[in-house]
Amino acid sequence: MKKLVPAIALVVASFIAIYVGAVQIDNFWAALISPGSNEILWQIRIPRVTAGLIVGASLALAGLMAQGACNNALAEPSILGTTAGASLGTVLAVLTGVVQVGSIGAIVCGALGALAATSLTFKLASLRSQLSSFALIIVGIAVSAIFTAIVGLLSAMVTRADARSISFWNFGSLALITRDNLIGITITAIIGGAIAWKISPSLDRLSLGDATAFHLGEDVPRVRLIALVALSLLAGGAVSTVGSIAFIGLAAPHIARFLYGPTHRRLIAHTAIIGALLVVVADTLSRTLAQPGELPIGLVTSLIGAPVLIALVSVKNNVWKTQ
Amino acid sequence: MITINEITIVRDGREIIYDYSEQIPAGSITAIVGPNGSGKSTLLAAIAGDIAPVKGTITIDDLHPILTSPAQLAQIRAVAIQNQSYTLGFSVQQIIEMAGLAQDVMQALELTSLVDRQVTTLSGGEAQRVSIATAIAQSTPVLLLDEPLAAQDVGSRKRIIQLLQKLAEGGVTVVVVAHSDEADLTWADKVIKQLL
Repeated sequence: MKKLVPAIALVVASFIAIYVGAVQIDNFWAALISPGSNEILWQIRIPRVTAGLIVGASLALAGLMAQGACNNALAEPSILGTTAGASLGTVLAVLTGVVQVGSIGAIVCGALGALAATSLTFKLASLRSQLSSFALIIVGIAVSAIFTAIVGLLSAMVTRADARSISFWNFGSLALITRDNLIGITITAIIGGAIAWKISPSLDRLSLGDATAFHLGEDVPRVRLIALVALSLLAGGAVSTVGSIAFIGLAAPHIARFLYGPTHRRLIAHTAIIGALLVVVADTLSRTLAQPGELPIGLVTSLIGAPVLIALVSVKNNVWKTQ
Repeated sequence: MITINEITIVRDGREIIYDYSEQIPAGSITAIVGPNGSGKSTLLAAIAGDIAPVKGTITIDDLHPILTSPAQLAQIRAVAIQNQSYTLGFSVQQIIEMAGLAQDVMQALELTSLVDRQVTTLSGGEAQRVSIATAIAQSTPVLLLDEPLAAQDVGSRKRIIQLLQKLAEGGVTVVVVAHSDEADLTWADKVIKQLL
């Protein structure tokens, strides 16, 4: 029963998220079972909460892929440069007029940017010697900083509304989500999730180190590449649609591991549920705490995710041993 | 049969093994002994397919490890590396089952009391025994072990040696790297001392 708490909490949080907002919805339950009956409910809140669920699950799974592929507790999309790469890919495509934010084209560009940045991090980290966790994190932070700076410069230099603001790319927002936006991120979430499911036994073996994983029959570079593709699809889809949302990719896999153990195949569903829960709760708080204004969701996820992470590290556990 | 034919291995610009040839018969235990830096672990890694000689060839029966896919190689040889570290808190049983059936080998190495222990909490000797058990569970015709006796007490050493002898009697080719401090090597059918 205890293990079902995140799933039950997610259902409850989703209903609360749909219910609360700047405008009170009359006959809420009746409107909920009649699709299209209430415009605010069906055109704004339900798409927004659905996007929150998909984005949360995607970012959480992206974090699981990053940590599994790197065998590193600190790895997550923003540290490997994936998030910044997705932002840059999307911003460049939007500014050149190729795509609009939230379109499937933007998601493709975001995923390509994410893959390019993550591959660059891996390539630079393994230039001098075998890939090490330390080199990966240091290079990832540097690549992320460069890509983030370019996004900031581009955002500051142009006045086009669809390039949105620096704040959007740094802290994310679900405010402009429409039903049409849901198609693209649903596709990337399903494909990314399916790839993650497929390679999860290989990620278990990767946790034993590259040498032992190879001895057990794993083609380590191939597994890592597939994980990077999944990571890029998941993070690229999410970031190109709602901007960067911090901490989900780092915190959700760790919370799931603490509750359910380290087996990746079991973690796929649990990590996605916890990520979705964190984003839905954070988004509800971000649009209700400062009404009629809205707080950037990334600030709220940081405020929720960071203490949870600190609490997990403080509680004695042997789920992830750091050297 | 493992055939090593005039191999030279260079690491970090230094010749670790030079023009070395050897034949390791099937169904036997071969011990490679020598001091630190003598190239014994390098030779084991080359047989395992981890590193390629700059000259010469290594074959396991007719297969060249370095030219064989990881999945196919895992059907032929299993390896227990020295100082296996575990980062994720899998149980001992879960780790061994990543390679194959766990029950028999856990009993043989007296790991049954540790079956549900998280591997991140094991001592060095226990972790090494789990690593050996994982390699044995892979059920391959060639078993390569890097210093499997290093962190073991007298009882564990005896059990590991008995198990290796039983495997060799069953046709498994066992290659063990042992430190030169190892006084008693009577358990090995063949001892390799000089690699250069």
